[in-house]
Amino acid sequence: MIKLTNVSKIYDKKGSALNGVDLQIDAGEFVCIVGQSGSGKTTLVKLLIAEEKANSGKIEIGDWDITRIPRRDVPLLRRQIGVIFQDFKLLPKKTVYENVAFALQVAGETFGRIREVVPKVIDIVGLGDKMDRYPTQLSGGEQQRVVIARSLVHRPKILVADEPTGNLDSINTQEIIDILGKINEFGTTLVLVTHNKEVVNQLRKRVITIHNGQITSDQKEGKYKL
Amino acid sequence: MFVFSFFRIIKFAFQDLVRNFSLSLMTVMILVLMLLSVNTLIAIRALTNEATSWVKEQIDVSIYFSHDASEDQINEIVDYINSFPEVVSAEFHTADQELEKFKQDHKNSPTILSSLDELGENPLGPTLVVKTRDPGDYEKIISSLSVPEYEKIIDAKTFGDTEVVIDRVQSITTQVERLSFTLSILFAVIAFIIIFNTIRVAIYTQRQEIGIKKLVGATNWFVRGPYLMEALIFTCISIAITAGVVYFSSLFLDPYVSIVFQKEAFLTNYFTSNIMWLLSVQFGAVLILNILSGSLAMRKYLRT
Ligand SMILES: Nc1ncnc2c1ncn2[C@@H]1O[C@H](COP(=O)(O)OP(=O)(O)OP(=O)(O)O)[C@@H](O)[C@H]1O
Ligand SMILES: [Mg+2]
Repeated sequence: MIKLTNVSKIYDKKGSALNGVDLQIDAGEFVCIVGQSGSGKTTLVKLLIAEEKANSGKIEIGDWDITRIPRRDVPLLRRQIGVIFQDFKLLPKKTVYENVAFALQVAGETFGRIREVVPKVIDIVGLGDKMDRYPTQLSGGEQQRVVIARSLVHRPKILVADEPTGNLDSINTQEIIDILGKINEFGTTLVLVTHNKEVVNQLRKRVITIHNGQITSDQKEGKYKL
Repeated sequence: MFVFSFFRIIKFAFQDLVRNFSLSLMTVMILVLMLLSVNTLIAIRALTNEATSWVKEQIDVSIYFSHDASEDQINEIVDYINSFPEVVSAEFHTADQELEKFKQDHKNSPTILSSLDELGENPLGPTLVVKTRDPGDYEKIISSLSVPEYEKIIDAKTFGDTEVVIDRVQSITTQVERLSFTLSILFAVIAFIIIFNTIRVAIYTQRQEIGIKKLVGATNWFVRGPYLMEALIFTCISIAITAGVVYFSSLFLDPYVSIVFQKEAFLTNYFTSNIMWLLSVQFGAVLILNILSGSLAMRKYLRT
């Protein structure tokens, strides 16, 4: 599903953010990516969604080589990979429903399809009763659930979450991780970047450790270690 | 799918216009100022053309024949003059007609009339009044008659010194045209900068929204569409306002113009009869200005 071959990313001359990364993630996997701050985790996520381009190496999503993806194809890629960041990227002046619908609107979906899909994904994250609230009227965990709902509207094959629980307390964290687990069970490949030791240890999934832009460990049913 | 996107883009564009209302207002105002000075330029052109052609109409060359000239000789010259393609009309007046006209012209000056009576005979000869298409052609007519064989039969060749008037009219209009041209360019430059800034501010205030759009897979044209639509809206509004202002100022100015040119509703007629191409050219120019400036802002601040 995701395949990186000898991928390097250099932002400026001082040093490289990723250095010769080889990585393969199969369809339906749940992968945790851990590593110290500045080790290159977010850079990896940005390469996957083509927000940054690799300086060398090859990145494939499915059968699609996205290493030199043309700009006009980026939107298509973004509809196949859902992304969740730590800072809940919600529009404050739109309700929960509108925020989720927005992702379908910008893709040119019909009103009928929007009315059909949006309540469904909002139900998946358990916010069916809060569709008309504004982001400020929601807890951090609930806001992050809205973001997850929005990332699901295109039925992505891959969901990438970069520290989705970074701003949340343990109860909200648990909720988010449960939802991500549920989404993975539906068949979506899940890549979770996290600093949270308990989460990783409890999940008992594949754990990839990055250090200084290189993969230093890759364990099935691994534990959190730096 | 296209239709849905299109309506959403229009909606986003209007939202943005309202959100940055003061900037939008300024953009439209500058565009209107620019268009107004362009239209002033057009009106001045029309008025000058009318003025010069009016002045030109007043010019003619008079060829005065001597008393000795025989009818055959006169006819020969009349035919010769008529053979010039530049000649619009050649009017022949007999000596008696000239005398009548002279008396008519001077009927309020008894001294001139009495001295004419004292002369006893008609001092005036037959005259040919020639009009040409262009004032420059008069020189040609006059020099073609300045040959020895005609010297005996032609007493004098004169033409009214209206050239000076035309020169004056033209030099004044060149000045005014230059001024309004400079103003138009100046306003165009200001408009360019302001549109650029309006779009830049719009992009800045919506950077979060744009980020989300891109994140969830909006096409580039969906991201850029609202700004291009905004440019189109600016164009439409400013053209509409200008058209209104031009129409009402024409109505207001026409009475004054008609005093000079003896033509009713000159400006209004001019603008309405040329409305199609005036509107389309100006619309096109403003739209191009808008889109160029907007695209530049997007290229700089909207990396997609
Ligand atoms: N846009 C950028 N321009 C220049 N350098 C960058 C840029 N983004 C990241 N870097 C550098 O690349 C390296 C990797 O950054 P990255 O954001 O991938 O780290 P990270 O593992 O996500 O860290 P954290 O756990 O703190 O989020 C860091 O040294 C960082 O300073
Ligand atoms: Mg990071």
